[in-house]
Amino acid sequence: MHESLYTYLDSSPLPASAGGALSGRSVAIQPNMSVRGWPTTAGSKALEAFTAIYDATVIARLKQAGAHIKGSIRMSELGFGLAGDTGATVLQKGDVDCLLVTDTMGEARMTACVAGDFGFKPSYGMVPRFGLIGLIPSMECFGIAAKNIKDIAGAMSVMAESDSRDLSMPAFGADLDFPRFHRVPEPREPIRSCGVVRECMDMLENDESQAFGAAMARLAGQGIRIEEVHLKDFELAREVHNVIGAVEASSSAGKYDGVRYGHRTASAKNWNDMYMNSRAESFGVLVKSYLFQGAYFQYENYNAFVDAARIRARLLAQTEAALERFDVLLLPTRRAAVDPSSAHTINTVYDVFSWTLIANITGHPAITLPHMVECGDTDLGLQLIGPRFQDERLLSIAAQLTDLDMEAHHHGL
Amino acid sequence: MGYEAVIGLEIHVQLSCTTKMFCDCPNRPGDDPNTNICPICLWLPGAVPRFSLETLEKATLACLALNCDVQPRSAFDQKVYYYPDLPKGFQLSQHHMPLARGGWIDIMDEDGKPKNLRLHHVHMEEDVAKLVHETEGRTPISLVDFNRAGTPLIEIVTEPDMRSPHDAMAFLKVLRTQLRYTGCAECSMDQGTMRCDANISLRPLGSDQLNTKVEVKNMNSIQHVGNAIAYEIKRQAESLKNNEPIMLHTRLWDPEKGITTAMRAKFEGPCVPDPAVTQILVTDEWLRKMASKLPEMPHRKVSRFVRQYGLAHDEAAQMSSERELSEYFEAVVKFGASPRTVANWIATQLLPAVKEHGHEFATSPVTARRFSGLITMLEKDEINSNSARSVLNKLFETAKSPEEIVDQFGFRQVSDTGALRGIVDQVISENMSAVENYKNGNKKSIGFLVGQAMKLSQGKANPKRLQEILRESLA
Repeated sequence: MHESLYTYLDSSPLPASAGGALSGRSVAIQPNMSVRGWPTTAGSKALEAFTAIYDATVIARLKQAGAHIKGSIRMSELGFGLAGDTGATVLQKGDVDCLLVTDTMGEARMTACVAGDFGFKPSYGMVPRFGLIGLIPSMECFGIAAKNIKDIAGAMSVMAESDSRDLSMPAFGADLDFPRFHRVPEPREPIRSCGVVRECMDMLENDESQAFGAAMARLAGQGIRIEEVHLKDFELAREVHNVIGAVEASSSAGKYDGVRYGHRTASAKNWNDMYMNSRAESFGVLVKSYLFQGAYFQYENYNAFVDAARIRARLLAQTEAALERFDVLLLPTRRAAVDPSSAHTINTVYDVFSWTLIANITGHPAITLPHMVECGDTDLGLQLIGPRFQDERLLSIAAQLTDLDMEAHHHGL
Repeated sequence: MGYEAVIGLEIHVQLSCTTKMFCDCPNRPGDDPNTNICPICLWLPGAVPRFSLETLEKATLACLALNCDVQPRSAFDQKVYYYPDLPKGFQLSQHHMPLARGGWIDIMDEDGKPKNLRLHHVHMEEDVAKLVHETEGRTPISLVDFNRAGTPLIEIVTEPDMRSPHDAMAFLKVLRTQLRYTGCAECSMDQGTMRCDANISLRPLGSDQLNTKVEVKNMNSIQHVGNAIAYEIKRQAESLKNNEPIMLHTRLWDPEKGITTAMRAKFEGPCVPDPAVTQILVTDEWLRKMASKLPEMPHRKVSRFVRQYGLAHDEAAQMSSERELSEYFEAVVKFGASPRTVANWIATQLLPAVKEHGHEFATSPVTARRFSGLITMLEKDEINSNSARSVLNKLFETAKSPEEIVDQFGFRQVSDTGALRGIVDQVISENMSAVENYKNGNKKSIGFLVGQAMKLSQGKANPKRLQEILRESLA
């Protein structure tokens, strides 16, 4: 029954319970996270038969902490979009305590949202990316989906630590200590204020707006200050992600040339042929279209890329400014009318992630909470965005909000 | 109508770092193929580049030595193209935000006048792998050696300030000296640790426009650069005379035929900021630290040698031409030998002898201490210059001190008047006809007699004293 969900199941004996921080906990991963000796195809023919020769830093840390890494689940090609509802199904079946999902535009959060669970994207630079076979280096990170926040915090306490092999992490060379992560987030300070992103509200349909408004009213009823806040360029976020993402993807996929590893065509008269045929045979239509877009901006319309990079900087500044006034920013996670599991074009993939990708653009930590914003039969998900590198605080706030909302429900508010 | 050549150079210099630029692999491209490789320089999936601080330090020293303005913020870009020697479809280079801008070098022009040549910028980039083309049976195959992939380079891009092959060659010589001084690079064109492309265009004399340029590659010596530029100037002038337009393209220098041939249209791939390598922020404090590591550069050293040691300008320039040589010169002088004799003996005796004995200067067994011992004995007239040359040769063959060699082989000069008089008497009695000639006014005969006396003394006599005594005896 696992076959359709998993591409690889580990058959080695369970790690001995040696009292590690995660002993007894099970984790499923994706085949774009390097585990020594495991088939590591990243969901692409480009890496058919590729086996990782080292552990990603995160994998080594999970193993060290005694976690049982159960296997890899089916993923979309090179992590672009979701592989139908594979991840959500794994979560719903309760196969594992934690699911690691590469979060490039919101995949971990969306998987959790569909499953009715918690989905977390850490700050960019909080978790080492060494060994993560990605597509958009400046936006992607290991994301976590789980049934409860404790399991997310537990995994983070093991994964989040600086790594000399990933110099994009801020602890390197800085005088700052790496942000500590406790296994159970301490509710040191109660949440006081939430900023609701006005520009996002303007994009909601009526029923979405009502569902979201109801949730806000419940939280306000619990004594939390809830006000609107502006992210002026919010509606450009999707285009910014698309242009920059496609350009980075086009470069990142350049290494899949069939010269050193991966798929090499059987028919080629010379090496130009070999390149073109190998790559033509390697990638599916969706990834190919995305890479074409990237090549277009690289070769033909570099100015559009420069514009996107400039707007990205503005989005970052606007988010930072908004977070100076509030503990967290609030917005829904998904659209009611969009089915995440059946997105097959670049546009429909971006439709799925139109409200999550902002955190990937700016590098802020974000989490989606289930069952708080329900619109008819669809759980829209309540998404929280917190200050960079205050991931532990964000998880603590997420736990508080969940508890407060349960209380509110309980009291029939 | 007369034309003027406008020449700019692009020079790649391999930095002598211990490791590659983005991983810990040894920077030894010449080792057995594909032995110095790792997941990062092979760009296996999941690899994250890790920029080496040593590359930054050496590149910065080079920039400072070339009077550049090191930028507070610089960053890497991806130069996108697909080729089997490039393991990831792009080369990490600095296009939009180079490490340093500006800079200059002084040369002497053809008329011996100083000329200032400006640099446009200096940036860092990684080298690519090496392709080896072979055949397997009758099938041509291409092999890739990734030892060189990811080794650190700087590229120096000049302003189009050069006007002649002389300017370009002089520029490269000064550049090489300056960079070697820093210890950051070997700069050997025949070893490929310095590679130079030249951009050449012509314009009517007196005009200041910049015309379409032609890029020439594949010169592996400074002389070839000069020859290729000279050829290209002639070729373009010819084209202009025949009203043929100059097209932007790349040409290859053929050293055998002494001509350039068209290779391809000049290729410019896209350059996009790299998202994986961190931006480089340089503080003033760090730059001051780097500047303090910079040695005294050649032009300052030349003036100091003239001032401090009373060397002629040419001697000073020669003693400063390499940092090791200049340090050796000063060390010898410190042991007490007189500077001009030292400079003269290094230039005319030591350097040729080092070459003759098949040594490199740096590893020669004639240390400063041993050489100064030799020169000191020469200056004190304990040995004559003939003997000194013999002792110098022995210094390459034994580990003994020059003093021991002199004693062991009896090189010590005879200056004692009594002993010399004996020799002179014998020479006079055995060469009566020469003595007659001398007395009859043929003053040149004295040379013959001195030679005979030297021979009799087995080369040990003090020739100056010998001549004095001989003249006295014949007076």
